[in-house]
Amino acid sequence: MNLRRHLLEAATVVLAAILCALVANALASRERKLALVGSYPNALVVPEKAEAIAPAAPASNGGAPASAKSPFEGKHPGPSEKSAPKATVPPQGSEARTFSSSPDDLLKRFPPHNKPYVEISGDDVAWLVARGVLVLDARRTKDYEEGHIALARSFPVWESDIDARVTALVGEGRDGAIPVVLYCSGGDCEDSHMLAQKLFGAGFNNLLVYRDGWPDWVKRRGSSVTGPES
Amino acid sequence: MTPKEALASPWLTVRVQIALGLFFVAAALPKLVDPPSFAHMVYNYRLVPGAFVNLMALVMPWLELLAGLALILGIWRRVSTGLVGALLLVFIAAISLNLARGNAIDCGCFDVAQANKTIDERLADMRLDILRDLGMLLMVAQILWVKGREGHKIVPSTL
Repeated sequence: MNLRRHLLEAATVVLAAILCALVANALASRERKLALVGSYPNALVVPEKAEAIAPAAPASNGGAPASAKSPFEGKHPGPSEKSAPKATVPPQGSEARTFSSSPDDLLKRFPPHNKPYVEISGDDVAWLVARGVLVLDARRTKDYEEGHIALARSFPVWESDIDARVTALVGEGRDGAIPVVLYCSGGDCEDSHMLAQKLFGAGFNNLLVYRDGWPDWVKRRGSSVTGPES
Repeated sequence: MTPKEALASPWLTVRVQIALGLFFVAAALPKLVDPPSFAHMVYNYRLVPGAFVNLMALVMPWLELLAGLALILGIWRRVSTGLVGALLLVFIAAISLNLARGNAIDCGCFDVAQANKTIDERLADMRLDILRDLGMLLMVAQILWVKGREGHKIVPSTL
């Protein structure tokens, strides 16, 4: 009898917690809200030691792990591999002054790689930003508002409307082969990698993750702005 | 008074109960304020299937809060103590498993902000977190032991 009463009490507490959670989430602001069913393909994949993130393919790719090897190996300059030392150089000479947004220029240096993402250095990002490529900030909204790469758009992967944002981006009819830069906080932050997996599954196949992220951009004094997305 | 009698005294038990409840309420509040950050913490443990990460991040803080409040207020003490004990066992197992496989994570126990720590600092913190949780598990054991020994004699009025 006691056991039954205790089980009933425990079930009541658990049910009350579930109810409170659902109501609180329904009433929460966009930045605090979560989608009830998460979509994290690598939720059970343990990062390798000394390496925070292991590239992995999205579900749409059959779950096969993506190679971390850069498809641009041998081409110079181009995106660098994650584990390799920075192999790229900043744009110099006439190249640095030629701010062309021609897709051919972009594709010549960053051809589509058909992987969820390839990591690139800050020099590559500076080159791409100067040419007006789409830049997506995967950090939380509050972090974005405190400062972000100029013209970057906010795509906070941990907030509830991320799938709607991805759908809206797809709806813009962009060419999936044109490079898109994604970044978060560098270090062991993998929000940009998670965003890349979502976008790769949505048809983008030239996603370039800024390996060192926002702290590196600040350090190199890249163009940035504060405040909400306009 | 023998040590055993001192350990079983209602005076001590009520204080242990309230302290444990306060720990859990304090642990729940930051998670309730920022569920996405806590979901990120849950994800970092790499133990919860992707579909359930958000649900766990939403429900667990409320479970901590309700169980903690029940302990503080002396409501359904045996059940709330049992729930707190079960949560602590889950926390200890989750941190230990990640410690064993070298996955350095921020515990997310009392703070959900990303701490910019090195891997070694995180691993050291995880060991301390396990010790802290074991200490709280001892508090749970004391409450349950006294309740088993004396039935339902513990009341807040013994404060």
